Amino acid sequence: MNRLLASLLLCLPAAAAAQRQYIDLGSPDFRPLALAVPPFQTGADAQAEANETAQTLRDDLALTTVFELLDPRSFLADPREGFAASAIRFSRWADVGAEGLVKAIVRREGSLLTGELHLYEVRAGREVLYRIYKEKTPRALAHRIADDVVQYYTREPGIFRTRIAVVRRGKGIREIVAFDADGKASEVLYRDAAILLLPHWRPDGGEILFTSYRGGKPEIWALRVSDGSTRLVVGIGELSSGAVYSPDGRRIAFTASVDGNSDIYVINADGSGLRRLTTDPATDASPTWSPDGRRIAFVSNRSGHPHIYVMNADGTEQRRLTFQGNYNQTPRWSPRGDLIAFTARDERKVFDVFVVSPETGKISRVTQDQGMTNEEPSWAPNGRLLVFASDRTGRPQLVVSNPTGDRQHVVTSESAPIGSPAWGPLPQ
Amino acid sequence: MRAVGELHRPDRLWPVLLASLAAHAALVSLGVLRGSGPPIDLGQKPIVAKLVRLGEQRPEHWLPRRDVPPPEAPPAPARVAAAPTPVPLAVPSPKPSPKAPPPRAPAPPGHGNDALSRAISKVRRDQALARETWGDPTGSPEGTATDASEGDRYLALVSEALQANYRLPATISDQERMSLRATVVLTIEPDGRVSSLRFERRSGNDAFDQALERAVHQTRMPPPPPELQQRYRTVGLGVNFHI
Repeated sequence: MNRLLASLLLCLPAAAAAQRQYIDLGSPDFRPLALAVPPFQTGADAQAEANETAQTLRDDLALTTVFELLDPRSFLADPREGFAASAIRFSRWADVGAEGLVKAIVRREGSLLTGELHLYEVRAGREVLYRIYKEKTPRALAHRIADDVVQYYTREPGIFRTRIAVVRRGKGIREIVAFDADGKASEVLYRDAAILLLPHWRPDGGEILFTSYRGGKPEIWALRVSDGSTRLVVGIGELSSGAVYSPDGRRIAFTASVDGNSDIYVINADGSGLRRLTTDPATDASPTWSPDGRRIAFVSNRSGHPHIYVMNADGTEQRRLTFQGNYNQTPRWSPRGDLIAFTARDERKVFDVFVVSPETGKISRVTQDQGMTNEEPSWAPNGRLLVFASDRTGRPQLVVSNPTGDRQHVVTSESAPIGSPAWGPLPQ
Repeated sequence: MRAVGELHRPDRLWPVLLASLAAHAALVSLGVLRGSGPPIDLGQKPIVAKLVRLGEQRPEHWLPRRDVPPPEAPPAPARVAAAPTPVPLAVPSPKPSPKAPPPRAPAPPGHGNDALSRAISKVRRDQALARETWGDPTGSPEGTATDASEGDRYLALVSEALQANYRLPATISDQERMSLRATVVLTIEPDGRVSSLRFERRSGNDAFDQALERAVHQTRMPPPPPELQQRYRTVGLGVNFHI
């Protein structure tokens, strides 16, 4: 019996062939890259400047939303270790989770500050970037360092030498004010007693278009940034407003109401060649250009409620893009072309910022349960960040956010109402 | 020893037992030789099925809501106000009479500013606030998902373990995300320990390659089955990483 049972033992399968197997892995999670920015070294006469430079740099890098700035209080490395890669104990930096290490020296040389940047890859244990800068202020120094760190990691230019124009209301006064991208260092560019609205930068940063009532009705004016002079660009019909330059700076699209019908018009930048793009009897307004200048998105209530539409730059092939919500406004096309940000009122009568794909029409929400009003989004020139006005702190302030809304920063603390932010171009 | 007179009955147990054993052995052999189940495509993502919550369906024409609200934004850092540079007031043109702002679409009916409309708006808002959860009439009382979404399929244990640690820095640009690829070869010990990692093909992006090394070192590999231990220790296992 035992022999019989033994004869029925299973035959196990032979071993598989000895060739190597491969598996595919995709769809990773993306997370911010952990950076360590220890206090900058300095000479005796520049300690305050070094501290301000380091802190401004940390704030800038955190604002990008692609970096996580590690708390300097957690650092284990010897603060006196040098700058040569051989002198740095990278294991100490790895222990606190750093993937990149930013060190710098700040010195005063007459009226200028000199900054020496050293950027290291912690895991590789080597220096990967070395730069020397000369700037007048710690903030300017920090912004240049931030731009170069961003450029190194993302292969894209940083945005910290750009500015954001906003409209600020005072007692009987309206101002166009330019803030640094981090919401600080504001500069008044223009001041008027008349109502002014909707600033928009020329692609080279030399001019800002805005809508003004100074002529008795809404018209399009341009402000020369260098000297504050203004000129009338166009004013037709009962009102003209919301002018935006095409990405090549050669054309201007705007809204005009002629004989009671609001439509989208285009003129050449020199004021010639006026063309009407929409003719629907409904209200058509708020144009924004695609980054290739071939299409325009706008708002129309031809369906009975304001929705976002898209058309060719010559006015042909107008099609509705949004079908959710019933009050969608202020579209702004991303410089990357992949998304259009807009303001919408939801079923709770709250205004929030959304993004929609111009190709699929899929809408994603950026803000939610963060105050009653988040509105008028504008894109950074790299298309990675949005700025919009928000009342979440009680007064309207500027908020900078990534397009998903997962990382938002309130960047201003103004006492006067501000709104209509327009993010300016990269420095030429 | 049988008692006298007891009926002699032939013993049929052994043939039956032998036949049963043979049948069982044949079935087991058949199962082993044909493999342990349907072939698994290791390139496919795992499918996770979610149960849709039982409830009323959220109206399709409403704007979407996030399941996970955005985190709170930190306040603006304190700043020192710079001395303002005087900017002259613009020379006034003929005094403008106050006009309405650029045209906005007329408010839908029932959404005016009168007391009744405000009351109706408040009631609608309260109803919307009270009705926090949405689902599907065909959902499950134990469901947690707002709507049905695509599922994932179970991968082999190694893929699953690596996937959990496959994280890349957000600094990698969109353009590079389209093209970055790398292949590593792992030698895996019988206890699951990765004894060596080498790049068969680098991506050209240091941040990406370092992230792959990190993912492998952070992963606790399952021990290979006995029949494959020799292979993974000598020939190794290749992993093609892409985005």
